Formats: sequence, C-alpha cells, structure tokens
Amino acid sequence: MISEKRLTLRDSLFIGFCAVFIVIFRMAFRWHLGISGHSMFYTISLLLLARGCVSFPWSATFAGALSGGMALMLGLGKGGPLILAKFLFPALVVDLAALICPLFFGSYLAVALVAALAAATKFFNTALMDWLVGMETVMILQHALIEAAGAVFFGVAGSLFVPAVLRKLKARGVI
Amino acid sequence: MPVGYFGNSFRDQRDGRSARTPSASRLPVWASLGLSLLLACLAVALRAPWTLAALAGVNLLYLVLCRVGCGLLRKAMRGLVWQTAILLGLHCLRFGAEGVYPALRVSSQLFLAFLPGMIFLASTGRSELVRLASGVLPPTGAFVLGASLHFVPLLVREVKGIYHAQVLRGARILPIDIFKPWCWPDWVGCLIVPSTVQALAMAGEIAMAARARDFGACRHRTCWPGNALRPDPEREP
Repeated sequence: MISEKRLTLRDSLFIGFCAVFIVIFRMAFRWHLGISGHSMFYTISLLLLARGCVSFPWSATFAGALSGGMALMLGLGKGGPLILAKFLFPALVVDLAALICPLFFGSYLAVALVAALAAATKFFNTALMDWLVGMETVMILQHALIEAAGAVFFGVAGSLFVPAVLRKLKARGVI
Repeated sequence: MPVGYFGNSFRDQRDGRSARTPSASRLPVWASLGLSLLLACLAVALRAPWTLAALAGVNLLYLVLCRVGCGLLRKAMRGLVWQTAILLGLHCLRFGAEGVYPALRVSSQLFLAFLPGMIFLASTGRSELVRLASGVLPPTGAFVLGASLHFVPLLVREVKGIYHAQVLRGARILPIDIFKPWCWPDWVGCLIVPSTVQALAMAGEIAMAARARDFGACRHRTCWPGNALRPDPEREP
C-alpha cells in the first residue's frame, strides 16, 4: 500500500464514519454481561478498516482520536478522560504496524497478530486505572491480565474479516 | 446528484425539515448540547429505579423543549422493545431468573443514554453543529465530525436497504445465521463489502458537494456565520 502524506476530505469523512460507528457500537453493546474486552471486536475491526481503506499513514489514529473524543463527551466507559487512551493506544499500534509493514493487511496471520497487539494495550489502560484507584500491585496485574486476555480474544476475532473485505475492495478497484 | 447533499433538495433526517433551516429548539445549541451530555452521563451513573424514572421525565421535558416530534420517540421506543427482549434473553441465559431485573435496568439505562443524543441531533441544524464544533476543533475536523454525525443515519438506511435486498436474493445473513460459521462468508461478501463501498461512495459524494461549495477555499472559515441563516429581526415587518 502506497502511503499518502495528505488526508483528502473524502478519506477523512470515511474515517469519520468509522469513528461514529465505533461509538455507536460501543453504546449499543454496553450490556454489562461481565464479558471482558468484547468492545474490542468492533473497535479493532473498524480501526483496521479505517487504516486499510485509506492510504494516509495516521488514519487509524485520527479515527481513534475522533471516537475517543466523542466517547469522552458522551461519558462512556469507567475511566473518565482515560477513555481517550482506550481508543488511541490500539489505533497507534495499527498505524505503527502499517508503517513498519504496509502489506500486512493481505495476510490473516499478520492482521491477527497486529489485532492481538492492539487489543493487548487494554492491559496498560486497566493497570493505569487500577493504579489510580489505589489497588494492590498483584491485584492490578491479575485484573489487567484477565481484561487483556478477553480483549485479545475479541480483537483477533473481529479482525479476521478485514483481509477478505480489503481483498474484495481492491479487486473491484474501490481502494 | 452529489451536490444535492448540501442543497435545499436534500432533506435532513428530521420530519422533512430542510437541513439548512436553523434549529427550532427553544434552547441555545450550547445549552442543548450540555443538557444532552449531562442527561446521557446521568443515565450511565444512576442505578435506582426511581432515579431512572425521574430521568425519563426530564428527558421528556427536554424532548418538548427541543420541539422534536413524537416520531422520534416512537422510533426510539421500537428500539427499546427489541433491545429489552435481547437483553432479557441474554441475562436469563447467563444468570437465570435473577437476571430479569438487571436486564430491565440496563436496557432502560441504555435507552436513556441514547435518547438525549438522538433528541439533540434531531433538533440541531447541521450548520449549527459544525459552528459549535469549530470552537474546539480545527475547521476540517469540525466539518468531518458534523458531517459524519449527520450522514450516519442516511448511511444506516442505505445499509438496511442493502441488507434487505441481499436477504431477498437468498443471502444467508439473517440474525440466526450469525451463529453459523459456514454463513460468515455471506456476511462479508453480501453485507460488509457493499456497506463499505457505500460508505466510501457517500464520503466521496459529500466531499464533492462540499468542494462544489468552495469548502477549503478559505483556510479558517468553513461554515456560514450563525446570523447568516437566522432571520434578521430588524428586517422583519
């Protein structure tokens, strides 16, 4: 994939759609079923789609910042302003992976690996939140690991349709 | 015709009111946004049934103040019924009979968290929203945010159209098919790919319509000033 330095209005609007859908899904699936990390299913897949369809190098970060800002305004999540990090960290991982290896979107294994790394950033968010509320170190590690494991599972599951979608879009000359 | 997106021919998502018509709300836009955010945050924070009932009353008052028709409430109630049914099923599967109360509470919380945002978007003109966002975001960012928020309902309608057409063609994308792994290729090929193409096409058309109206010609100002759309009281007889 050839990266363009400039973000066109069409691409930024597509990224805006992805960001709005991340927030809508996040609001719609706040079901409190006690399943950790299920929000990563659509967050990671939409971030990957935003980066895969747009050649601008920081498009996932732009989508993450937009959705994080909207989520912050809507009061989603338990971490207050830390919610921004929940969107920005995975988005940065996706963008950095695309910078290092621009062709990773074609491989299921590489996409799953990037999705796992991006979803695993939930470990740091959870640990930071727990540390701020004053939990013990062992408890912080256990809780963060459980949360990160759930996030990795759902993140990888959500990412697996992205290579097929991008391949079909490329075959039809849409991207 | 793409330029119709910003012209008078394009009707906004609200009961046939033109997209360029200023808000009919009795509240200023910033107050409406603040109230909407406060109500959404309260819906997440409150737990007791009586507080949620009181919050529902405040939401109804907000609906009246914003002069939004009952059509929006009917649409939201339809969503509430479906959502409650799904949540009751899931909670009862996981927690048994004890899951009924949490399911009803979470469902009403979700409804009350969604409703203020829906009322705000339905009662606020697109240009007013962009002007509001221009205060905190770069001009292009404000335009992207405003346009994305306002065109998402249209995009959702298009995706629904694609979904129904594909179901009529025999695609295995009914809700029950989501639990059948052999149907997942149909979800990708018949729904996700066409929906992504539709989103890209819509983004391209909105961008073309904006450029046709000199979007980006002036570096800093990207929307009409507020008083340009409002009737001038001194000119009125």
